[in-house]
Parts: sequence; structure tokens; C-alpha cells
Amino acid sequence: MIETPPQNPGDGTGIAGHGAFFQPTNLPPEQAEKATEWVRKHVDRRTLDLSERMDDVREHMWELERDGEIIVHRITDAHRPVEVKTLFGWTKKVPTLQLWHHKSCGQCGNIPGYPTSLLWTMNRFGFVPGRDYLDETDQTSCTAWNYHGSGIGNVESLAAVFLRNFHQAYVSGKQHGHDAGHFFPLVHCGTSFGNYKEIRKYLIESAELRDKVKKILGKLGRLVDGKLVIPEEIVHYSEWVHVMRNRIASELQTIDVSKLRVVMHAACHYYKMVHEDAIYDETVLGGNRTAVGTSVAQALGAQVIDYSTWYDCCGFGFRHIISEREFTRSFTIDRKIRVAREEANADVMIGIDTGCITTMDKNQWIGKAHEQNYSVPIMADIQFAALACGADPFKIVQLQWHASPCEEVVEKMGISWSQAKANFEAYLKEVEAGRIEYLYNPQLALSR
Amino acid sequence: MATYAEMQEVFEDIKKDFRYDHELNGCLNCGICTATCPSAHFYDYSPREIVQLLWTENVEQIYDAMQEKIWACAQCMTCAARCPFKNSPGGLVAIMREVAIKHGFQSAREVLRPFGRVMLKLITTGNQLSPDMIQPDHFPDWGPNIQKVKGNLKTLRKAIPMRTLQTTDTAWEVSLKTSVEMYTIWEMTGVLKQLETMDENLYDVIEDFIDEKREEYEELLEEQADQD
Repeated sequence: MIETPPQNPGDGTGIAGHGAFFQPTNLPPEQAEKATEWVRKHVDRRTLDLSERMDDVREHMWELERDGEIIVHRITDAHRPVEVKTLFGWTKKVPTLQLWHHKSCGQCGNIPGYPTSLLWTMNRFGFVPGRDYLDETDQTSCTAWNYHGSGIGNVESLAAVFLRNFHQAYVSGKQHGHDAGHFFPLVHCGTSFGNYKEIRKYLIESAELRDKVKKILGKLGRLVDGKLVIPEEIVHYSEWVHVMRNRIASELQTIDVSKLRVVMHAACHYYKMVHEDAIYDETVLGGNRTAVGTSVAQALGAQVIDYSTWYDCCGFGFRHIISEREFTRSFTIDRKIRVAREEANADVMIGIDTGCITTMDKNQWIGKAHEQNYSVPIMADIQFAALACGADPFKIVQLQWHASPCEEVVEKMGISWSQAKANFEAYLKEVEAGRIEYLYNPQLALSR
Repeated sequence: MATYAEMQEVFEDIKKDFRYDHELNGCLNCGICTATCPSAHFYDYSPREIVQLLWTENVEQIYDAMQEKIWACAQCMTCAARCPFKNSPGGLVAIMREVAIKHGFQSAREVLRPFGRVMLKLITTGNQLSPDMIQPDHFPDWGPNIQKVKGNLKTLRKAIPMRTLQTTDTAWEVSLKTSVEMYTIWEMTGVLKQLETMDENLYDVIEDFIDEKREEYEELLEEQADQD
């Protein structure tokens, strides 16, 4: 027989799981219903009405522009935007042309095949450097890796860096004969993407912050008509890959990847910071997880394999990868590499961010010290896509900088690793003699 | 040992940050944040605890958590994505770290010492890391195959087909004008002051570097004016 708990426990033990301090409300039924409804609304994040209680910061951005406070760097028809849906079904515009490459310090310093594969893909679509995209020297890192790692920096400094870099994107077309706003920023780094979105939100919400950074931007000569320039959308490179995925597969793909088992690691700062702005698509993983990265693997015909720790972070930790490496390598081996190997038997793990790729790529060998001998090739979605489209594994995809066994997946794609390596070593002699091949005229990179 | 009044002052500084009300909205103690937290797997750290301490304004325990616990957070923001109350424990930790630095906590100095190399690179060049920092000598635990083609770093970097990436001491080539603009940002936002509080020696090195770069930029401007 099941005993019914007393409705008004007066013995001081309370109701199980709540503690002795729990007191019944004794609300009348209609008020109790109302209160329950309120609690459900606040607790169940997966209800579709969540978006009703979440502000779309972009609406306030337009209000600020109407009030003459800011200038919005618009995505126009010339940017050939593609509309996508984000977490709550809101629309986001992703420009596909006239892009200002906002580089990532981790990618450029450590995984250079990331940006080179992206530019190579754009060139294959016939993009004209200097008109359809620009890669230039007048930009700094977002500085958010340092901030998240050390706490040195503050909202004001992050906001000033954001506005400085994006002002440069806005005016960068001028020296190449284009109007202001011609190039729209395409952010390569996941942390930059998350940080910039967070900072944009603060800037739009806080007049005090706007006033403070306006003084700085004014001193730098980085205001337009005395106003701050804020972009209509913050766009991550993986979103460009997402909207171009079917064109990449139908127009550029030359190698069959249908036998390859691919696992995806989505960067935390892509979809866990300002998560309402991340892309979801019901045709990708049932719309339950962010679509970027996975969608291009699917479009190329690879087998996308699920695994139990999909949502887990890689273990990068910003500070941890530098000074608490035992955490970083333990977490990445235990929660990512081992699982990708044992559960998914993956041929390759693809990612969409700098820190994740570095962490998972570089921290496999050390596992041997603890009999955790697992290895999986690690690369970015765009590197995988470029390989499937016939890019050179060394000259373009730059896999020589990766520590994980990328040669295994290259061979499985039918590309001879040893031949490609021999060709590259011969090319290094040409480089030493000053005969360097470029993706664009190097003079375009120099800002005046 | 800090007095209660000092601890209260630290807490007031946390509460004063305009993000505080964004990041803390209530707490059911459900523990979703801790269940999904990578750092909670390895450290004596719980984002739920951080939120509870702040929510209940437990100034002594907050002060205590700021000595070590806040530095365990990996800043992945999984907690923020999962919290039913739209709290951001990771965001609160970021505020607490800034306040720990502002108050010159010895614990913060010790935690950040190994991070100095990244700060030096970032503040002087506008890049957070560079190819010459990621060499096998610095990361022996990354194994012997850290690069699959052996060779001179300069040549290997020259073989990257983007002009901006053909560097060894920065991740990409940053124009001098850009760096000088960044120094102004550091100065006007108090970042150099933060750095001075945390590591005076590093601050001195950076200050000298900034002076040199500014002089170099002035000379460049003069040369350009002469040419015009």
C-alpha cells in the first residue's frame, strides 16, 4: 500500500527533496494554476514561447539608428545574403559575397590551413580578391581569449576593440575603389564570434558604455559622422560554409567521402554564448543541435555519426591550455577523443573553431602515458570540405601543422599523402628561391 | 586575512558591474550548470555554488571562492546555455576575476604568472599567440609529431599562400598603425593599469615596447609626410 504524504506536514521534516523549510502556499486553485504556469515558463527552456520573453537585440539596434545614435553596417543585396533560421526560428541574414576576413589568432598562428582553405574555396567559386573579399593587415585579435583566460581586460576594452575592427571593415573598401560598407566582416574565430555578439548586446543596451567607448573611438578617428558603426549581423565563417554547402557539394566536390565516418564538435562559443543567434535547421540533426559544421559534412555525403558527449566542451579553457594542461588534455582525451574513437569509430572529427581544433589535435599523443592510446584526425569543416573538393593537403589545407593522424583520412579519400608530401617538400625549395604561390595579390593585404 | 569590511567592498564591486543583473536572475538550486560543467569534473568547483553564494550575498564565502575556485572555470559557458533562469555562472566568474585583479589579490597574481607570455604578445602586437610560441620545446606533451614537415619555420610560414600569414612572431601581420591604435585602447580602458597591479615587471617591459613602437610610428608618419 502506498502512503499518501500529508498535505500540510507539520512534523518539521518537510516534503522529500525540498527540505524542512518548505511551506505549502495554500493558494486558491486559479492562483495556483497561474503560478505553476509562470514557473513552467521560466524553467522549461525548450518551450517554443521562450522567444517571447527574450529580446531580439537587433530590434533595439534599429531604434538606436533611428534616434541618430549609431550607424548600422547593413547587409545589402550586393552581399548576396542567404536567410537562415536561428534557435527560436528568428531570421538571420548571412552575406555570401564582399566579405572582410576577420582572422583568428589561433588559426593563423597554429592552424593556417583554416583560413587558406576558406579563401581557396572562395577562389574556386570565382570570387575576385579585392572586390569579393579582402584579407588585410589592419585588424587586431578580438582579445577575448586573453580576457576569458586571465580576466585582464574589461567590457570597455573588448567593446573598443570590436568597434575599431568593425569600423575598419566598414571603411576598408575605400582604398580599393568601393563605397563604405562594401565589405562585410566575416569572423573566423568562434570565441571572437561569441564575444562580439555579447559585446554588441551590451553596447545596444547600455548608453553609458556607448558614451565611454565613443570617446575612445573618436580619439582613434573611428567614428562615422560622429557615430559608432555596429554591424547588422555578426557572422561566423561556418555560417558562410553552411549556406554555401550545397553549392560546395554540387559545384566543387570531386572526391567521394561517403565511406567516411565523421563526428562533429561544435564550438561552445558558437552556440552557448548569445545562443539565440546560432543557426538551427530541421534538416540537420532534427533541428535539435546547431546545424553548422554538421550540415556541410552531410551535404558532401559523409556519414555523420552521433556520440554521447556531443555537447561537451573540448577542454581548452583559455587559461587551462597554457597553464593547467593536465585538465585540458585529460578532458579532451576522456570526453572527446576516446568517445569519438570507441563509440563512433570516427575517421575524422571536424570542428568550427580555433581552440577546439588545437586542443583536440595536439593532446592525443600524451594519452599514451596513461594507457589512453586513442587517436582521431582533427580538422576544421572547411579543411575537410576543401580536401573533398580536391585541394592540396599541404599547400592549401596545410595539414603539416596538425599533430593528429590526418594522413589516415587523406589516404582514405584516395589522395596519396606521401606523394603530396614529396610535392610540398619540392615546393619549399621554390619558396626559398622566392617563387611563392598566393591565393591573392599580396599587395591587396597592405592597408594604407 | 581581509576584514569583513574589505570583503564587503569586494562584493560591492562585483555587484556594481552593469552585467551583474544580466547574469544573475535567481536560482532554483537545480544543479544543471554543475552537471554540465567540464571544470566540475576535475576541480573543487561548482557553478551552482558560485551562483548560490552571490544570490545569498555570502560575502565571506564569495571572498574565499575568489582565491582559487573562480580560476577553475573553463569559460565554455555551457552553464549559461543550460540555466533555466538565464543565469550565466561563467559570466559571473568573469566579473569576479576582474574584481580579484582590481583588488590585487595575491592568488590572482600567482594564477596568472604563467599566462604572462600571452599577455605580452597580445598587448604589444594585437595578436594573442604566434607560430614561434607553438614550438615543440614549449609543448613537449604535444608529442614528437607536432609538425609533419620538418624545416625552417620562416620557410614553412612563407609557404602559406596568404600574405598576412607569412609571419613567425605574430599570428598575422598587423600594421603598425593598428598596433598603435590598440595601445590607446589599452590606456584609455585601464587595461595597462590592471597589468601593472598584477605584474609590475611585465608592465615595465610592455611600457618600453609601446614607447618604442609609438616612436617608430611617428617616424613613419614623418617619412610619409616628406614623401607627399
